[in-house]
Amino acid sequence: MSKKLVKAIADMQEESALKQVNQMMADKVEPAVIMDDAMEAMEIVGQRFEDGTYFLPELMLAGEMMNQITEQVKPEMAKTPVTEPKGKILIGTVAGDIHDIGKNIVSFMLEVNRFEVLDLGVDVPPDKFLEAIREFKPQVVALSGFLTLAFDAMKETIEAIQGAGLRDEVKIMIGGGQVNEEINKYAGADAYGKDAMAGVTLAKKWIVAK
Amino acid sequence: MSAERTKIIACSLVIEEIVPYLPSGMDCQTLDSELHVNTDVLRRSLQEAIDASTSSAEIILLGYGLCSQAVVGLQANGCTLVIPKVDDCIALFLGSEEAYKAQFKVAPGTYYLTKSWIESGRSIFDEYNILVDRYGESRALSLMRNFLKHYTRLALINTGRHELEFCRDYCLRTADRFGLRYEEIPGSSSLFERIVQGPHDNDFVIVQPNEIVTFRDFK
Repeated sequence: MSKKLVKAIADMQEESALKQVNQMMADKVEPAVIMDDAMEAMEIVGQRFEDGTYFLPELMLAGEMMNQITEQVKPEMAKTPVTEPKGKILIGTVAGDIHDIGKNIVSFMLEVNRFEVLDLGVDVPPDKFLEAIREFKPQVVALSGFLTLAFDAMKETIEAIQGAGLRDEVKIMIGGGQVNEEINKYAGADAYGKDAMAGVTLAKKWIVAK
Repeated sequence: MSAERTKIIACSLVIEEIVPYLPSGMDCQTLDSELHVNTDVLRRSLQEAIDASTSSAEIILLGYGLCSQAVVGLQANGCTLVIPKVDDCIALFLGSEEAYKAQFKVAPGTYYLTKSWIESGRSIFDEYNILVDRYGESRALSLMRNFLKHYTRLALINTGRHELEFCRDYCLRTADRFGLRYEEIPGSSSLFERIVQGPHDNDFVIVQPNEIVTFRDFK
């Protein structure tokens, strides 16, 4: 039955996918199973985008379906005790950039992995990141950006964090577009993630290590 | 720079703007803009075009910007490479990286179009027609509006060299359909002219023969 969910998401049948999730929850299917199906579907969508079948609006809708599904299963997930230490992650697309498909997928993956995520949205100025670091007190800050112009905004944001004396309080990861080790060094981050799963792996490593 | 010993390799989206300034005798090659879909493919195609040009040229000009880092890693055997120091072709059409950054301050959520981009038939708005075939009009429209939710403006860049009446009509219609504010913004031919005629000042990345293009060259 669960494969119906995979197919619904992969075929952009939003309503059917959400109904399917409700049905699965009514049937007491484990939230982890639902999220695994969602991730399997996301992989199919990713492949269809790579091979040119799907366009950006479809990739974006799939990302949003992931977030909606996360919201639906969250109350159920909260009932399961957390067995490993998880932490807080602040995420946002840096100033001047409004792209959020990748960021939303990373947020989803982090939530699936039981991190507490505060997503500041897109075109987030450094001041907003500073304010949120002070109030939310995350262990990890994730800066996203698609445009190469965003690399400067990542650098400026990290400099602002440094300038505010908060750099030692957080680990910083960057991701999106053509981010690589060179950009990581340029921006002054601690690491970059080449995809959403890499972001999750970094967060796990850092938060356990802290 | 001797025109006979200089070659320009340019993207099909910008070539039309460069041709009026092309010195007589300068070799010119165009690469399909579609190559941008995959950064590695674009980088490979550019490197092949460069490699095929090094025996006849001393200077190779690229009608590209950083283009999602597609130019990073390029190298010309025995030739100097010259590339405009801009993030992408929007800055080329606007005339400078500063003008591009200024537009970001005005409205970061801007979808830019140019005459060449509209004529290429490869903008997101052309993909909309395929989405209509796939999902029907109402769902395709909602997919597009969702995709464009952080966009506020559709900007047509006018470099002043072309009759733009049909582009204006197209952009007005498109902006209206997807709930965007339409604006025509002034472009410039400055970088298009200077890439082929010089001077290659601080607005250009100059990579010495056999050296590799790096991201830092653009900063």
